[in-house]
Parts: sequence; structure tokens; C-alpha cells
Amino acid sequence: MTDTNNVIAARRRSTEFRLVLMAGIITAGAYTLASLGQNSVIPPRILPFLAVLLLVLMSAHIGVRWLAQGADSTLLPVATLLNGIGYVMIARLSERLAGLQTTWTFVAVAAFVGVLFVIQRVNDLARYKWTFFFFGAGLLLLPMVPGIGFSSGGARIWVSVGPINFQPGEFAKIALALFIAGYLADNRELIAAGTWKVGRFYLPEPRHLLPLLAAWGFSVVVMVGQKDLGSSLLFFTLFIVMVWVATEKTSFLVIGLGLFATGATAAYFMFDHVQTRVAIWLDPWSRYDGKGYQIAQAMYALGSGGVGGTGLGLGDPTRIPEAKNDFIFAAIGEELGLFGSTAILIAFLLLIGAGLRTAMRTSRPFEKLLAVGLTTILGMQAFIIIGGVIRVVPLTGITLPFVSYGGSSLVANYVLLALLIRVSDSSARRLGEIADSATFSERFATRLAQRRVRKHPEELEAMS
Amino acid sequence: MNQRIRRLAVVLIVLYVVLFAQLNFIQVGQKPTLDADTRNTRQTVRDYNDPRGDIRTSDDVVIATSVRNKAGSEFDWQRTYPEGDLYSAITGYFTFGYGATQIEKVQNDVLAGRTIEQQIKGFRSLFNGENTTGTVETTIDADIQQAAKDALGNREGSVVVIEPATGAVIAMWSWPTYDTNLVAVQDNELAGDVLNYLNDIPGKPLLANAYQERYMPGSTFKVITTAAALDDGLITRESTWADESEFLPPQTTDPIQNYGNKVCGGDLPEVFLRSCNTPFARIAIELGPEKMVAAAKRFGIGEVIPFDLPRSTSSQFGDVEYFTQNLPLLGIGGFGQGNTQMVPLHMAMVAASIAHGGVMMKPYVIGATYDHDGGVLQRTVPTVWKTPMTPATSALLTELMVGVVNEGTAKCCMNLANGIQAAAKTGTAQLNAAGEPERSHAWITAFAPAQAPKYAIVVMLKGTTAEISEGTGGTLAGPVAKKVLDVALAQ
Repeated sequence: MTDTNNVIAARRRSTEFRLVLMAGIITAGAYTLASLGQNSVIPPRILPFLAVLLLVLMSAHIGVRWLAQGADSTLLPVATLLNGIGYVMIARLSERLAGLQTTWTFVAVAAFVGVLFVIQRVNDLARYKWTFFFFGAGLLLLPMVPGIGFSSGGARIWVSVGPINFQPGEFAKIALALFIAGYLADNRELIAAGTWKVGRFYLPEPRHLLPLLAAWGFSVVVMVGQKDLGSSLLFFTLFIVMVWVATEKTSFLVIGLGLFATGATAAYFMFDHVQTRVAIWLDPWSRYDGKGYQIAQAMYALGSGGVGGTGLGLGDPTRIPEAKNDFIFAAIGEELGLFGSTAILIAFLLLIGAGLRTAMRTSRPFEKLLAVGLTTILGMQAFIIIGGVIRVVPLTGITLPFVSYGGSSLVANYVLLALLIRVSDSSARRLGEIADSATFSERFATRLAQRRVRKHPEELEAMS
Repeated sequence: MNQRIRRLAVVLIVLYVVLFAQLNFIQVGQKPTLDADTRNTRQTVRDYNDPRGDIRTSDDVVIATSVRNKAGSEFDWQRTYPEGDLYSAITGYFTFGYGATQIEKVQNDVLAGRTIEQQIKGFRSLFNGENTTGTVETTIDADIQQAAKDALGNREGSVVVIEPATGAVIAMWSWPTYDTNLVAVQDNELAGDVLNYLNDIPGKPLLANAYQERYMPGSTFKVITTAAALDDGLITRESTWADESEFLPPQTTDPIQNYGNKVCGGDLPEVFLRSCNTPFARIAIELGPEKMVAAAKRFGIGEVIPFDLPRSTSSQFGDVEYFTQNLPLLGIGGFGQGNTQMVPLHMAMVAASIAHGGVMMKPYVIGATYDHDGGVLQRTVPTVWKTPMTPATSALLTELMVGVVNEGTAKCCMNLANGIQAAAKTGTAQLNAAGEPERSHAWITAFAPAQAPKYAIVVMLKGTTAEISEGTGGTLAGPVAKKVLDVALAQ
């Protein structure tokens, strides 16, 4: 590594350090205010809290500094800010859940650093696209396995192993994004070319398109079968966006939207729960005593927050069912007002911006598509749930990335973030912004090879 | 692919702008509608769950307070009224689902610690956990209030004691009333049932008849007619009226009669202390509609009493046009019959204005409000409401009312303890038409000591029982007033 190469990386990392610190200060301040608002006391465990907060933030930051020096400097800070605000809200709703969320945050940051460590050459992942597909499909099917799978809140998306309950679907999304990115990176030109003539139309050869369609169809059918409407909607969007970006064919977008309209209409007439969702979206008030109650309470919460919010700890968000989960956005809107809810929107826009910028900077199709896919997951998932809570779209249960309570969601989103950071770092290396030094495993392989050459010089001669 | 990625960025930004627009719509545009939705109990629950300051009497008896509920209750605090029904018409109630009344309503911000001064001062409380609630101090004297309740007993009616110089209400008791603790219960449905029951039973216990209802005043109104005529110069202390038992006013063939059809006449002190009707009917008609109505207006009749408790009502006399066409009604209005109606509190204010040199003060029951540290937030400054008569007239009326106590209709019953001289005017308002069974309200309006008045009082007993209807203002209301004034003046 030369000094000139180090300048850009050092600047990015010190920016990230300052931003992460700011996210930490905001989180600590909000935590204190929430406790003051609720019980009029400085939180009794403020010192352990600060220690844990600092430990988590610095572990993540040092992980990036060590393993992905050239990466974008805003991704991690924005994610930690969202995580922090979510944590404060969860702690304010339930102390017990706050303890669990702390544990999950540790696990998530460990997973984040772990992914950065294990996956140092992101392009290598493209080779394992079918592995990722079967892994993702397996994860999707896991909740259907009798004995370990169970449903909660109407959707069969949970798996229970020993003391741990988790939603494998959160990880399946990432695996499927990896699969689609890998598949399209290889086949996108063939699919786009459209060499199969049917009547007046040129269509892609079935052998190029079919595997993809099959994989996609399987995933969507499984998610719909599990009544996981939010995830099916998200996955549908992810698929269409990635095919559209990869092939640059608007026709795929049109066909995709057509399919969506057809599928949504069919689902509406086939499933009662879809009809209910639409009905409470259009008019929660007349179903106040039933399914509309949650949305009505969310509306009251947001209204009571107004522009400035009631103040942390001073609102009444416990009245909203599932405030810690899908409806955490309404709780934030109540206590932090329009300012706070808008800040959350802006945070997600910043993540989307950083993610898509990453996608545009890299020249490799796989990395590009992967970054687009991961960013779409983040951006659309947040849109679907926020839109559901505030009645822009029908409500489909899904977590708000980084903010909602829940281990699977938090760990999966930190893994997703690690992959984005990895893509960003690798394009920085390729652009020569930092030295493309050998990775840990490459150095290890080199040393093995050198030792072998030293021990068996005849092999080298034989090769040449 | 980069061009598609840029388009994707635009699409995502548009989606988020839609979210932002909808947030504005909900959090700003729809906020008033959402807050006003009856199913939205957020604000109510917040209010109900906040600690709340005390309401107390001027002699520091706590009449409303909040006590902490046992852990695990639905709400943290329970509002209680230690004195039961004694102050319900003053404190009002504070409920979860049915709002608040009286002081609990008008002083809600002070009690909950929500005035701007309290918020600024209470900024510290954010850190040390002290509550910021305020206290409301009423002008009520607990002993006099209790005496009023005891003296009235189970008869329907009201007793109001005010301080003539300030307008401070020292006691205000209405019967029937209700125990505030029965309404301020945690069980919202039960509270609703209690309120419905109280609304439906006769006697309207939820209405404080001392200031929220008006009644025919009978002869107590003669002080107003007399004041009007004296200030006009129509009569003087020396005016005399011939003996007569009835008087035929213009526009009718139906004569006006004296109480019990007695022959009655003499000079002004004489007709006043004997409470003859015909002289006052003559005075009212001679003064004429314009002057009588103007005099009533000078006393504040026709205006809602500017009281510091909600929903006070107004006394009524009538308008010029009506009386011009119905001179006989003006005549009987001159002695408080016909359509004349007085709020008991207002009648006490009339006596107080005579006691206070002809100046009528605004009545008030909220003496001062304090923040949590005992600092004064607001102290009520006595203000003049009306100046219905000249000082000379008030002095003469005092003399006339002393006559009522010493030799007239109140002679039986208004001899105060320790030889303190009272001044009074009685009233027996006949409610029944001729030929029907007797039904009448019994009134007395008085003040004492006559030469240096400390208290003005009104006692009104509703003509709902035979006992009251057969009695007179002097014999029924007089003893009540005496008992209350004795307690008050013994202090």
C-alpha cells in the first residue's frame, strides 16, 4: 500500500468514524430523553448502555477499516443510526425486548464483520449462484417443515430450533438476490437478445429464461402459500427490477407489471386475507373493532405526534398493536413527529443513494446487479411497510430494516449491508482508489504455494 | 445498465416523496380530525393518568385530590373527593370518558401542570421527577359550607354566602346534589350509568341550583323595585301609600292583591317591612316599562352571571315592549311574581351590593392558583361588575331591611347570636294559579352585620313540598340564614 493510495481510504474511514460517532451520540441522547420522558429519571443503566453502544459501533467501524478500507462512508453510519433509533423505541416499549435486541445487535454486527472477513472477493460469489438458489429455496421451505416451522400472526414464516425462533425468509431474500445477480450476469445478453421468433415477436430462448422463471415462480408461490404477502411483493419487485436493469429491456418491466396486476387481482379473488387487507387499507374506520384497529391506532398515533411529536417517552405508542415490529414507524411518528418520521424516510433515501451509487461505480455486471438487488430489497422493504402503516399501499406484514425488533431481520440486514460495503470496497480497489492488496486468503494461498515450491522445486519446472 | 439504475433511483425517490406527502397529510392535515375522533382516547388517557393537583378551601381543607392507585391498576391515579357531596357543585368531577366539570374543567391546565408558567418552571421536573401539578384554592370556608348544608337539610334549595366587598363566594350549597366520588370512578361504563341515573332523577342533582337555575323570587325582588324608584326620585323615605287590599292596574279587570288578601299601607319602611304588594305594583307601573327594565339591567338581570365556574345562567325580568303591552305583569313583576326569575347567587349579589354601598362585585369562587412549589400563579382580583344604585339608596335600603328583621316579616327568625344586627328581605313566591293548591318558594336575602357588613346571604327553598309551600320566606328561609350567619360571624 502506498501513501497516495491511502489518502482516499483514510478520508473515507475518518468520515465514517465521525458519522458513526454522531449516530451514537444521537442514539445515546434519544435513549436518555426517552427515559426522562417516561419515568423522569436518567436511565439507570446509562453507563453499560454507553459502553455497549460504543463497543457495537466501534466493532463495526473497525471491521470496515480493517477489511473494506475503500468502501463508501455513509452506508454503515446511516444503518447504525436507524438501528439506534429503532433500539431506543423498542427499549421505550419494552425493557425485556430491549435486552434481546441488544443481543441480536451483537450477533448482527458479528455477522457483519464475519461476512466482510469471509467474502473478500465478491465476484467469487457469482460462481455459487445455484448454491445460493437452493440455499434460499431451502430457507423458504424451512417453515413448512413440520416440527420446526410454525405460523405467527397469520403467516407461516417462522422456524423454531431449540430456544431460537427466526424467520429464514429474511436470509432467503439475500440468497435469492445473489442467485438472480449471478444468473443474469451470465445470461443477460442472451435473454436481452431475443433470438426465438414466435410470430411477429422475438422472445428470449426458453433455455435461458426458463431456469430464472422457474426459480422466481417457485419462490413467489412459496411466499404466497405461506401468506407472507409482504415478502412476495418484495421479491416480485426485486426480480422485475433486476431483470429490467440487467437486460435494459423496458418490455420486461411492462410484462412484469402486467404479471403483477394479474397476480394481484387473482390473489385478491382467491384469498380472503388479501381482500381483508385491501378493505382495511381503503377504510380502517368501519372495521375499527376488528382488523382495522391496528391501522386506526397508527393513524391516531401519527396524528397525536403532529409536526413536533409528543416527545420521546411521552407518547402512548403501546396502544398500537405490534408497535415494536411492523408498526414501529407509527410509534416513531408519534413521539418524534413529522420531523422524526421524515428523518427515517431520508435515512432510507441515503441508504438507497449510497447503494445505487455503489452499483453505478462498479464495472462488473455481477457486482452491479447484486448492489441493485440489495438496494432494492432495502428500499422497497422500507417502502412497503411504511406505506402499509400510513395507508399508501395495503398493509403487508414485513419488518422495517434495521429499525424493527427482531433478530433475523437485524442480522440479515447487517449481512446485506456487509455485501453492499464489500461491493463498494471492491470497486474502489478496481478504480485504483486504494491499493488492491492481497486478501487474507490470497496471502495464505500464496504462502502455501511458496512453501510447496521451496519443498518441491521440480513441480514448478515440470509446469513450465 | 447505469441509465436503468438512475431511473430506478428516480422511481424510488418518487415512492418516498409519496410517503412524505402522505405523512404530511396525516400528521398535519388530518391531525385535528384524528385528535377529535371519539374513539381516540390518547389525550384523555394521558390526562387521566397524569398526577393532578389538589383543590382546597380557603381554610386549607382538601376537597379534591389524586391518590396513587395500587400497582397493576389500569390507571396510575385515582381522583378522590374527601368531603363526598359537600363540594361537588364547586369542584365538579374529573372522569376518564365523560370529561370534567366545574373547577376540574376550568382549571384543568393548572391542576395538570400544563400552564405555560408551570411548564417553564417545571422544566427541572424533567430531570428530578417532581410533578408539576398546581393547586386551586377556592374562596369557600369549610365551616360555613358545612353549616349551609346542615341548615338546609334535606329540603330542595340552595344557600349562597358571599363577601360583599369582594364578591368572593364563601359558601355555596345546592340540594339535591351528588357524591362526586360516584362519578369519578375508573370503570367508565359505571361512570356513564351513574351520570345517566343522575340525569334522569327529579331534582336534577347534576345542576347546581345555586347558580345554574333560576326561580321566581317573590318579594325579595322588592329591593330592586325600591332601589329603582329611589334612584329615580319617584319615591322617598317619606312616601306613603293608602291602606288597600287590592289594586286594579290598567289594561285589566283582574286586581292585584296583597299576600293573604290583607289590607296594607303606610310609609315606605312600613310597606317594606310588612311586604305589601300593591305599593310595589304601583311603583313599578308608575316608573313604567323603560325605567323598570333599565333598573333590572343595572342589576345585571338578563346577563349571564360572570361567574368563574362554567355554565352559570342569567336572571330574567322582561323587555320594554312586552311590559308596555302587559302593564299588569309589570305590576306583579315589581314584587317578584309573574315572569320574573332570579338565580339564587344573583339574589345574594343584590343583597351584597346593598351592603357594599351600591356596588355589585363579580362573584368568584377560585381565590388563587398555585404551582407545585406554592408560588402564586394567579390570584383573583375583585372587580366591580355593576353599580346598580347610589350609596344613599343603599343606605336607605339597609335601613329598610333592618326594619324587616326587627319588626317585619323576618322578625321571627333573624335575631343573630351575640346581638349582631342583620338586614334582610324575605320572599314567598307564589307558583300556583288562583284556585290551585298552594305552592311557593321561600326566599330570604340578607346581610350582616347591618352597619359593617361582612357577609351577604341568600337562602332559597324550592316549593316542592307541602311544608315549604305552606310556610313563608321568613319562617322557612330565615332560620337557615340565621344558622349559617351565626357560624360565619362567630369566626
